[in-house]
Amino acid sequence: MRASFTLILGLPLLVAALILPFVVADSYVVHSAAMVLYFAYMASSWNFVCGYVGQVSLGHAAFSGIAGYASVLLFTGLGLSPWIGMILGGVLAAAISVPVGYATFRLKGPYFTLTSIAFAEIMRIWLENTDEFLGIPLKGAQGLTVPPVGGTSFLAFQFDGKLPYYFIILAMLVGVMAATHVMERSRLGFYLKAIRGNRDGAEALGIDPTRYCLTALALSAFLTGLGGAYYAQLFRYINPERNMGIDLSIDMAVMTIVGGQGTILGPTLGALVLHPVGEMVRASLGGHVLGLHLIIYGVVLMLAVLYFPKGIIAPLQRWLTPASKTTAPQTTVTVATPKEVEGR
Amino acid sequence: MDALTLSFAVINGLLLGGIYGGVALGLSLIFGVMRVINFAHGSFLMLAMYCSYLLWASLGVHPYVSILVTVPFLFGVGYVVQSVVISPLIRRERALVVEPTSALLLTAGVYLVVDNSVLMAFGPDVRSVTTDITYESIFVAGLPINLARLIGFAAAILVAFALSFWLKHSDMGRAIRATAQNRDAAALSGINVPLIYNVTFGLGCAVLGLFGALLVPFFSITPTIGLSFGIKSFLVVVLGGIGSIPGSILGGLLLGVFESVAAQFVTATSAAIFSFGLFIVILLMRPAGLMGRA
Repeated sequence: MRASFTLILGLPLLVAALILPFVVADSYVVHSAAMVLYFAYMASSWNFVCGYVGQVSLGHAAFSGIAGYASVLLFTGLGLSPWIGMILGGVLAAAISVPVGYATFRLKGPYFTLTSIAFAEIMRIWLENTDEFLGIPLKGAQGLTVPPVGGTSFLAFQFDGKLPYYFIILAMLVGVMAATHVMERSRLGFYLKAIRGNRDGAEALGIDPTRYCLTALALSAFLTGLGGAYYAQLFRYINPERNMGIDLSIDMAVMTIVGGQGTILGPTLGALVLHPVGEMVRASLGGHVLGLHLIIYGVVLMLAVLYFPKGIIAPLQRWLTPASKTTAPQTTVTVATPKEVEGR
Repeated sequence: MDALTLSFAVINGLLLGGIYGGVALGLSLIFGVMRVINFAHGSFLMLAMYCSYLLWASLGVHPYVSILVTVPFLFGVGYVVQSVVISPLIRRERALVVEPTSALLLTAGVYLVVDNSVLMAFGPDVRSVTTDITYESIFVAGLPINLARLIGFAAAILVAFALSFWLKHSDMGRAIRATAQNRDAAALSGINVPLIYNVTFGLGCAVLGLFGALLVPFFSITPTIGLSFGIKSFLVVVLGGIGSIPGSILGGLLLGVFESVAAQFVTATSAAIFSFGLFIVILLMRPAGLMGRA
């Protein structure tokens, strides 16, 4: 049922995304569209943890930053192709996510969220104030630039126009959606659903909650890392604030929650609605008013949590598949589900 | 590293750590009673600091006198935020159980609104208040001790004791503890649970009003200072044990001393990495925190 809904809504979106750059050839539009896709990709990667494990991470930007820096440094230092650097950076981000998750997933309560924020902010502040670490030039808050190789080179992840970047992130987004789809139907997906529904019950059935939550976190960190490395290549520049600041973590969270967490298309819908709003606010006020778009995000986030806990995807789903009520029940788990009645 | 520098670092760490603990008290209290992590905790501290700064800059009010305004103001802010923003969530939940992630996201929204409103109103400039007490130091055994920090430290200890005593012996305190233990049973015994929540949230924020004003004489004010204090508070309460008042002070002292001593060997920002490492180690060995009940 849900797969068909995803196709009904997703296919037209995909077709629109494929023809958009040929209808509007303006490079600003293509760049903005690529940014929407980038945020959709990041939110979808974030959704792996929040939507399926049920833990809110507000430190995912750290994974983006770690992988971004790794890929740029491997390229500038060793001449390694950013494509390989991207994968290695993602693996590094996943490896770093494991101890953070291991220490906190064993505990009930908000430990993971608090630790994730602290981790990301400490990493960012450290990076901003470190010019050199073990002989590696990190250049602190100034950031690193990716030296141009001149012209188009697939191996160096550098292209003349914006178009190739657009299609790369589109492919990545489709990839992460496919991964979400496979994960939902895999053993891991069912385990996570069980853990989220009733952790103690799942444990009694022999599911190790820490292990499967960690698997999902590592996957999510890996995917987020790929996005961070992509961002560094798109701008040919990386700095701690933009690539691992708390704003990025919050963007991912707000877009996913508003769009509909725990669904395949939800995060993309959230990015599709929110990123243009943020851009328009920024553009129309010409940077005179700092932070207004974040105030709007904050208000939208509060309203979404209070009144649309399933996100904007829920009403869409009802309109597009009216028969779904009588057939299979909704399998998504939402923020609002009361999980456990604690006795204190 | 001579003994004098080290003991100076330890004393400074203790003083600052006590203040960290004091700032974290409200976070711990709110979580202990409502099971809600207030992500906007640091933002409210920042709000108190701006309030104190404005009173000093416009009317020349000494930061310590501004406590008379900041504490009630922050109590009001906390009360309103709880009753307007968070209570709809609590009312909606069946069995009065708040799912922690929803409440956290909700307060993350509050953080976004508060921090960026202040950024819009005041810009990113660093502001500071200079008073007679800023550079005042007393000497104990040949070591200079900054008076403003000492006052902040003393206030943290005092507030922790007063809060524990009040929770234990006053009617309202009893009602708060009863609600924390079992809100349904508390409601059945005639306790007005929504009111208790509002008061608890207000109280947790009022403590920030106090420390905001106490920090102003020796801490520069920027719109982003809230987040850095908020994160320190998260570390402190998890270290000390979420919901424990003495744990909050102890966690603060530990973090303060560790940071201050580590900063003698490496840069202050690298020291923060070490304190995060310490935090992970403690979490692995004693998941409930130093004073928490497992």
